[in-house]
Amino acid sequence: MKILVPVKRVVDYNVKVRVKADGTGIETAGVKMSMNPFDEIGVEEAVRLKEKGAATEIVAVSMGVPQCAETIRTALAMGADRGILVETDAELQPLAVAKLLKAIAEKEQPKLIILGKQAIDDDMNATGQMLAALLGWPQGTFASKITIEGDGITVTREVDGGLETVALTLPAIITTDLRLNEPRYASLPNIMKARKKPIDNLKPADLGVDPKPRLTTVKVAEPPKRKAGVKVGSVAELVEKLKTEAKVI
Amino acid sequence: MFELSEEHRMLQDLVAKFIDRDVMPLEKAVLAREMSGQKSALSAEEEEVLLGKCRELGLWGLDVPEEFGGANLPTVALIGVYEEQARTCVPFTFPPDSPNLHMLMAVCNPEQRKKYLEPYARGEAQSAIAISEPGAGGDPAGMITRAVKNGDDWVINGRKIWVSRVPQADFVIVMARTGEGKRHEGVTAFIVERGTKGFNIEREIPMLGGQRTYELTFDDCRIPGSQLLGQEGRGFAPMQLRLTVRRLQIGAWCIGMTRRALDMMIEHAKQRVTFGQRLADRQAIQWWIAEAAMKIHACRLMVYDAAAKSDAGKDVRTEASMVKLYGTEMATETIDHAMQTFGAMGVAKELPLQLMAQKVRTMRVYEGPSEVHRMVIARRLLQDRR
Repeated sequence: MKILVPVKRVVDYNVKVRVKADGTGIETAGVKMSMNPFDEIGVEEAVRLKEKGAATEIVAVSMGVPQCAETIRTALAMGADRGILVETDAELQPLAVAKLLKAIAEKEQPKLIILGKQAIDDDMNATGQMLAALLGWPQGTFASKITIEGDGITVTREVDGGLETVALTLPAIITTDLRLNEPRYASLPNIMKARKKPIDNLKPADLGVDPKPRLTTVKVAEPPKRKAGVKVGSVAELVEKLKTEAKVI
Repeated sequence: MFELSEEHRMLQDLVAKFIDRDVMPLEKAVLAREMSGQKSALSAEEEEVLLGKCRELGLWGLDVPEEFGGANLPTVALIGVYEEQARTCVPFTFPPDSPNLHMLMAVCNPEQRKKYLEPYARGEAQSAIAISEPGAGGDPAGMITRAVKNGDDWVINGRKIWVSRVPQADFVIVMARTGEGKRHEGVTAFIVERGTKGFNIEREIPMLGGQRTYELTFDDCRIPGSQLLGQEGRGFAPMQLRLTVRRLQIGAWCIGMTRRALDMMIEHAKQRVTFGQRLADRQAIQWWIAEAAMKIHACRLMVYDAAAKSDAGKDVRTEASMVKLYGTEMATETIDHAMQTFGAMGVAKELPLQLMAQKVRTMRVYEGPSEVHRMVIARRLLQDRR
């Protein structure tokens, strides 16, 4: 079984994100970039499936600027077998990414595609679902546990009310939640081996996809600063304020 | 300037994660031990766990040649590793310790390679080196410990001091005078194995930073001729090589220590309010932050430059002196500023700052005191000018 793992290059989770002065986006120049943490969980799950003998090949895919090759290399160092880079300077929105992934899926014929449930930069939480719709494959989103049995896969999903378990028929789409696994460190020997693993370089046109954005970003602004709180004298006063001022109870 | 390769950056990331997740959590225990007057070291169990993880991650024998199963990384790749390691006051380095490795690689004959270098390179054997004497520290060429040839053997007599890692060392490299030569001529390196008759550990000396060194005596200590390292009377140069390796490492360690002090200073300055104003809004603190950031940048460039030259086979003794001197003074100053920023907390034994301050104080002395490095740098410049 072949597994496709899309990995996105995002601002590192430790970096405090800053809005550009002109409000067109966020500052990425000179900022540390890393693999989206949910995608890292996706790579880890794929590697575990391969170690268990359930998968035979893992293909990591990234899209965007040439430096996305570094994100692929990280996936290769964790245990993916080869990479595909779709290189473009264009702004990539979830629908475009889903269309590009669909084209790659049709070419590569994976049985399973494991995506992060969302990327920590724009938190869209859309690509996995869109890809499932475009391919007409079943989807198990927010997965905290997956088990492969024959031609099917059982997915435990973290939903608002608790846990939901769904059974899907392969090929299928999985999106990962935080508790699916704890990703490993890429060991030094594997970092060195990653250098020798192949990365295919494609352009959106090679896949017959026009990645033009369908949404326009009007403005990016920082959230308003938190206002100073007030001290209340008693519980009674607190309850009163919650009722009359905050109007939450 | 060169750019670090992708693999070497990934290695540094790996070490950073390892330090943050596996080593940093042990700080509290190490500080508690130092606080109670014990050695500021890891317990055997803690060390065992970390060594196990290192083996798993391939963080072992980083600069060991491939023929001995190492990763054979260049010095530039190790700088980031040392930098990340030194962000914590937990004393832990990836085996084997580099300086003696490089000295042994330079001088061992084929038999010695098998017997000493290979187990050392695999991390199965530990070593120490005895250079300083009560009358010869910063000026090791003044040493008087003597080895005299007796048949096929050598007999060593003398006293060595400030030797680290002695109790766990399977062998000690002992520098001793053999010929008639003065100063650095006629100094030879020998290997003395643990338990050799006449080799005594006189006493343990507690040092700042919860560290320990040892005073050793050699009393008609007889060793076979096969334990002479390199060439008779030519031991000084490989010893210097070893010191150069350590000095570059110290420069990189100092970057890590300074980064930690700066991070702590920034975090605290943004939270702490005095007289209605955040410390971060005060010029004194801002200048300390700016100084520290600027010096870290300068020191990093210096260390990478020296490492790249060293990898290219150039003699970097002067650069190594500069790096060691600049790094330790930068770390001393920044850690002190961080302690001052923290006020009473900065001098509390619970925080790592005071332990880092003690450690960097010892670093300004060992592997050549700052003043000797200034003298050496100046002398080379004076000699080079017509």
